[in-house]
Amino acid sequence: MPVPTFLEYGRILPMQTGIVFDIKEFAVHDGPGIRTTVFLKGCPLRCTWCQNPEGISSEPQTMTSPAGERIAGQRYTSRKLADLLNSQADILRRNEGGVTFSGGEPLMQAAFLAEVIDRLDNLHTLLDTSGYATEQDFKLVAAKVDLIYFDLKIIDNNALLHYVAVDNTMIIHNLRLLPSLGTPFVVRVPLIPGVTDTDENLAAIAETVKPLAGLKRVDLLPYNKAAGGKYAAAGMTFAANYDESREVNANVTPFEQRGIPVHVA
Amino acid sequence: MNERLEAMKKRVREREHAKLRQDIEVQPDNDRYEREGVSWHGRMSDSFRALCEAEKPIILDGERIVFTRTIKGIPTPAEPPEVRAAREKGNGSVGVANISANWDLAVSQGLLKRREIAAASLERMADDEEAVQSMTACIEVIDAALDLAARYADEARAQGRDDLAEILDHVPAHPPRTFHEALQSFKFLHSLTWMQPTAHVTLGRFDQYMLPYYQADLDAGRITEDEAYELLCELFISFNKDNDLYPGVQQGDNGQSIMLGGVKPEDGSCAVNALTYLIMRVSHDVNMIDPKINLRVDTNTELDLLIEAAKLTRRGLGFPQYANDDVEIQSLVNAGYDLEDARDYVVAACWEFIIPSVALDVPNINAVNFLAAADTAIREGLAAQDDFDGIMDRTRQNIFDQVDVYVASWRRWSLYHPYPWYTVLMSNCLETGRDANRGGVKYYNCGIHGSGSANGADALAAVKTFVFDNSVIERGDLMTALVTNFENDEPLRKKLLNEGPKVGNNDDYVDDILIKLFNDFADACESHKTDIGRSTVVRPGTGSAMYYVSLVRCKQEEMMEPVVEGASADGRHKGDFIGSSLAPSPGVQIRGPVSVLQSFSKIDYSRICNGGPITMELADTVFRDEDAIRKVAMLIRTFVELGCQQLQINTLNVETLQDAKAHPELHKNLIVRVWGWSGYFCELDEPYQDHIIGRHMLAM
Ligand code: SF4
Repeated sequence: MPVPTFLEYGRILPMQTGIVFDIKEFAVHDGPGIRTTVFLKGCPLRCTWCQNPEGISSEPQTMTSPAGERIAGQRYTSRKLADLLNSQADILRRNEGGVTFSGGEPLMQAAFLAEVIDRLDNLHTLLDTSGYATEQDFKLVAAKVDLIYFDLKIIDNNALLHYVAVDNTMIIHNLRLLPSLGTPFVVRVPLIPGVTDTDENLAAIAETVKPLAGLKRVDLLPYNKAAGGKYAAAGMTFAANYDESREVNANVTPFEQRGIPVHVA
Repeated sequence: MNERLEAMKKRVREREHAKLRQDIEVQPDNDRYEREGVSWHGRMSDSFRALCEAEKPIILDGERIVFTRTIKGIPTPAEPPEVRAAREKGNGSVGVANISANWDLAVSQGLLKRREIAAASLERMADDEEAVQSMTACIEVIDAALDLAARYADEARAQGRDDLAEILDHVPAHPPRTFHEALQSFKFLHSLTWMQPTAHVTLGRFDQYMLPYYQADLDAGRITEDEAYELLCELFISFNKDNDLYPGVQQGDNGQSIMLGGVKPEDGSCAVNALTYLIMRVSHDVNMIDPKINLRVDTNTELDLLIEAAKLTRRGLGFPQYANDDVEIQSLVNAGYDLEDARDYVVAACWEFIIPSVALDVPNINAVNFLAAADTAIREGLAAQDDFDGIMDRTRQNIFDQVDVYVASWRRWSLYHPYPWYTVLMSNCLETGRDANRGGVKYYNCGIHGSGSANGADALAAVKTFVFDNSVIERGDLMTALVTNFENDEPLRKKLLNEGPKVGNNDDYVDDILIKLFNDFADACESHKTDIGRSTVVRPGTGSAMYYVSLVRCKQEEMMEPVVEGASADGRHKGDFIGSSLAPSPGVQIRGPVSVLQSFSKIDYSRICNGGPITMELADTVFRDEDAIRKVAMLIRTFVELGCQQLQINTLNVETLQDAKAHPELHKNLIVRVWGWSGYFCELDEPYQDHIIGRHMLAM
């Protein structure tokens, strides 16, 4: 179903607005080519290892550090954000890149995001998502983008709920929708020591993603002890309920055994 | 690098050669000069000869390219009485530094041929006193150099180094027969250039003038690429040997800069060659501060070359620095340089674009302080109830006034210090019987740096938006805040700093003001036509040199440039630094390097030829893999395609990180890669910062 944007039943509707907590250019590790990453604010997962604490709340908040203060969370109309991105469209296209939408969970603002993407000037788009969204929101955006980074954490629901505020049902459901949408995707697994990096969990992830057409590869992202670095600046408390000092188990075997391309970042 | 080279580098780093230095000082023979009425030329050549004679040939274990200084000081002879008298009347003297010799000519002809040419001019111009003095002096310095070279050959024989003796018997007297001889000849000539009172001896288009020797050896099967690599490594290591002796500069700030790539002067065709690539690899592997690498690029430059350059950038040495031929050549032509000369451009010490062989430009006579021009205009304009255009008019007038003062002072620099040795090394000087600094070359222009442009534009834009367009700040409140250094109004300062439009975000509102500042500067320079001493043009530039400190920290009485002594309307506290060359103001929030390039691409460089790089810092974690390095290469290509002029990329190293920890307010945009993500370094808690610093230390 096409999203109503400006004109519906002959009357002018207000443009969608969204809240963005950062825009970073030349994000060399966020997808192909020279790209700009837009960080959308708000995430219901609240993973205990989340490294972008200012991305969790949907409201603007002040980041205070010795460098001074800055407001994380600025409201954009879809046009303003798209104009900003389009002002670099030639450069991004010329250099094999485009725009990455990350967060937070960008699908929390699916209607806004869809409208921004519609306004983009023929730019490669990448959605970096936890997969937690209604089917409608997920399809709305996932069908529009050129590539998806789908972050998978823990397959076992009970285990997941120790660390994350929501369960897997919608996430796995949306993951399995991907082949039918036709958008290529990369599954990305943050390796949290003793949590996501167990052999059983990695095997369960491999087993889950194996049958999915459109899977380009699996990226394993080793945990780094700086995950909690921004909490104080955001006025929040970092409470890791896992052993940060443990070596991560970047075990690629479960993937290789199943013939899935795998890459340790 | 192999073991031999690593050992050589280690010895240089440990400064073993410095132990061989003689504890003597060569004094100019001033009494005799006075008594006998020796000319200024003659004083220079005699002092140079005395220093050469006092030098001791040093051949260190296993060296294949030799020359090591043993005497620290450089004798500077007293000026002759008529020069002293002129000086007392308020005239200044212009020495020679920061220029690029015709290394090609000097190496390829050899000193004996240079001597022949000087002797012919001496004979032909026997009635021309200036020519006689100059050519006599040139012959004296050539003879002194040849004598020292002969003693080096003897020393080689005495040490049983017949391989070296054979080379030293031949060069620098004769044209080199091999690549090895060419490098030795160059080493000798370049080292001697430091043995006169000068600074910043740049190396020019090394990949161009060395290519014929390399190519001939390759064609004749006399050398392999690996052997050439080894010789070049040795030469490059040797540039770091005596750089503590170079006069009057911070270590490293010595102008030993190489310009690679670019186009050929005769037809503008691509000049990139096998040596361009090889030198970049050598510089990467040698990994020392000298020589500094510059690379000329244009829209036709292969991405492969930029990838090699990006790998060198990853080293964190702060080079290569990139110059855009598409922009700079035209800009030099517009300033009055002949096309062939413009196509041959190199950099002087840091970034100033100069023409080798035929120019003795002084590209750094002073610096315009844009922030001072804007700040004074804002303070006076607000008090006088100006509208915003009135403030812009005042800013323009202030820029004109600054340039007028500098040009007036430059005019008084009218005593032209002879330089016999440089005269030997430049085009057409021996041929015409004229000292390089006294009529021998084609161009004697002057250049003025342009500092604080981003801060100046930000300050004006803040006033425009907050005071005029949106009327959210009262004139009086802003005035009070500036006078009191925001003591009682921190919220106002934050508003100016965090909510004002800032250069570096590709925002026309403020970028238009930036453009205007440089146009005003170009107009001011162009308003001087016949009143600039022996210069034909005054060249405006975008560089800041050390001015980004001195223009906001020094006392006014110490400086000819206006100093910004207080706070400024961009939200800057009294005493805080301004940006270096072309960079966003320190402490402002920007989205990243693409917007920075877009902002600075808007300057009309066709009228701004003096140089001064867009300066950006990338965390070395950006360069994690081949794919990311390729993206850095694409960023450099973007710089070219946007029509910017010059670019310097700094890869963050541990020192920067430590400074960021101590002075976070100056490094707000410092981005570090932490895990599968990047973050602002200053927002990380201390232990995490320490962790990353530790990681960077390990990475060294
Ligand atoms: S899904 Fe990502 S953004 Fe959301 S809480 Fe987890 S780590 Fe943070």
